[in-house]
Amino acid sequence: MLSSCMGSLMELAEQDKNVLYLTADSGEGGLDRMFRMNFPDRTYNFGIAECNAVAAAAGLATAGKIPFVYTAAPFLVYRAYEFIRNDICMQNLNVKLLGTGSGLSVSSLGPTHHSTEDIAALRVLPDLMLLSPATPAQVNACMRLAYEHNGPVYIRLGMNREPELFETGYPFRPEVSDILRTGKDICMISTGSILSEAIGAAEILAAHGCQAEVINVSMLKPFNAADVLQKINGFKRIVSIEEHNTAGGLGGILAETLADAGICAKLFRIGLRDTFSQGYGKLSDIRAENGLNAEGIARQIREAFYE
Amino acid sequence: MSQHDLEECMELRKQIFITGYKGGMAHLASCFSALEILYTLYLKNGMRYDPEDPDLPSRDRFVLSKGHAALALYAVLCRAGYLTEEEYGRYLKPGSRIGGEPYMRDLKGIEATTGSLGHGLSMAVGMALAQKMDGTGAKTYVLLGDGECQEGSIWEAAMSASSLGLANLTAILDCNGLQKTNRVDETLKVVAWTEKWKAFGWDVMETDGHDPDAIKECLDKRRNTSAPGILIAHTVKGKGVSIMENNPMWHFKLPNKKELKIFKEELHITDEELV
Repeated sequence: MLSSCMGSLMELAEQDKNVLYLTADSGEGGLDRMFRMNFPDRTYNFGIAECNAVAAAAGLATAGKIPFVYTAAPFLVYRAYEFIRNDICMQNLNVKLLGTGSGLSVSSLGPTHHSTEDIAALRVLPDLMLLSPATPAQVNACMRLAYEHNGPVYIRLGMNREPELFETGYPFRPEVSDILRTGKDICMISTGSILSEAIGAAEILAAHGCQAEVINVSMLKPFNAADVLQKINGFKRIVSIEEHNTAGGLGGILAETLADAGICAKLFRIGLRDTFSQGYGKLSDIRAENGLNAEGIARQIREAFYE
Repeated sequence: MSQHDLEECMELRKQIFITGYKGGMAHLASCFSALEILYTLYLKNGMRYDPEDPDLPSRDRFVLSKGHAALALYAVLCRAGYLTEEEYGRYLKPGSRIGGEPYMRDLKGIEATTGSLGHGLSMAVGMALAQKMDGTGAKTYVLLGDGECQEGSIWEAAMSASSLGLANLTAILDCNGLQKTNRVDETLKVVAWTEKWKAFGWDVMETDGHDPDAIKECLDKRRNTSAPGILIAHTVKGKGVSIMENNPMWHFKLPNKKELKIFKEELHITDEELV
């Protein structure tokens, strides 16, 4: 995802001289270095000082610049939250926040480095667009949409080598959900890179005779309720899947959407249940330990609906 | 201080008090502390701006980081032509365009939304950086409180401004020695503003914060420097009303009936003007 993000940012910077790259001592790898080399006067490292980076981005945006602030998601969101709220969102300023290592993707460093409440915290901020791409190609589409949207955007990025799950040439439209697998028994709705585990869970369930539809939602705010309600129409069993607390994230969004629309369906929310993550290791290890790998998701769905 | 500036600032104090009193709430002491600084920037050729073209890219910008002195900012913005006397007088009344803290969406001329302390210098860093990138020669000014410098983000911004070589950025420290509940140097005791700002790579000057000529002279000296600069303006919180001066009790308070008599006497306000 990071390569896609930096590649897209470079394309945007080529196209528009107002595009800036701000970091708070983040940014690793060849593409990051290449951006700095190609656009030295548009790259600013504000040091380990997220609040200042976010507020300075707001100041830059008041003068017509388009800053993309790239840094670790938990520090960007939690430490600089009031700066995002007051300095960016209150003015609807054109700042793009790129939260890297979101969810559990910095698996080895534990909960201080995980962002498992960022969607909940940010989605209540007026005017802030929230994008949660699932794959590298979808990151490209989200970066383009973020640039084209004149207002604040947060993009929730993983930092592992996330698999590409969409076919080449797939017509990405982040504002519309994607159907990855069709099924008639339950409808699984996923956001972010955990989509690969959701698809894996659907395959496990299929072996047990349960055909699951798998839908990916990458734009969490504004949430395209009409699109999702149309796609889940007829399902009585709905599952939300996210690398996030079950409160306030995708699960919360769906609960509100279903209630607002007066739809009676059983919603089972999979994620972290009022807890921080447990364990250390590779992403696959920590997902397993927290019940968020394909096996864990399939097991929870069977327990919820079939046992 | 010239007789003209003296009279203008007396008139502004009077207007600020009447408006705040009628509105039912204001940080009067902070307004009176910062008044001559704001007056110098907006009304004594401290800055380049045009209320007829408030979005002019090459304008100088001002950020009131200590947002609670908003009523004083509105008073000089009113004189500068950004809002009418009638609009100013409607402060905090139904349909008012201006509130207790500056909000960018309320009024052209308010360059940053402030109120939560410790934000303004960072936003000013972004503005000054954009001006530097665009090469227009425009400048950014920001007014900080000395109590506000207890916020850690101020020092994040201070480090970034000097690292980025923002010579077009000037901060003015409204150094009145008081915060909401106590003296600043009795709350967090190591103050040493000159040494601190110098250590963070800033040019430091000191002046009487109630003397517009002295403030202007310092601002003019900023024109040939390579580093961000800070003007430590020694001020008196509540300046102009004897019972309010240097007393933290007045941070966020309007006078009672007995105190009002003193305000009226010292600011030359009539009963009719308070109706």
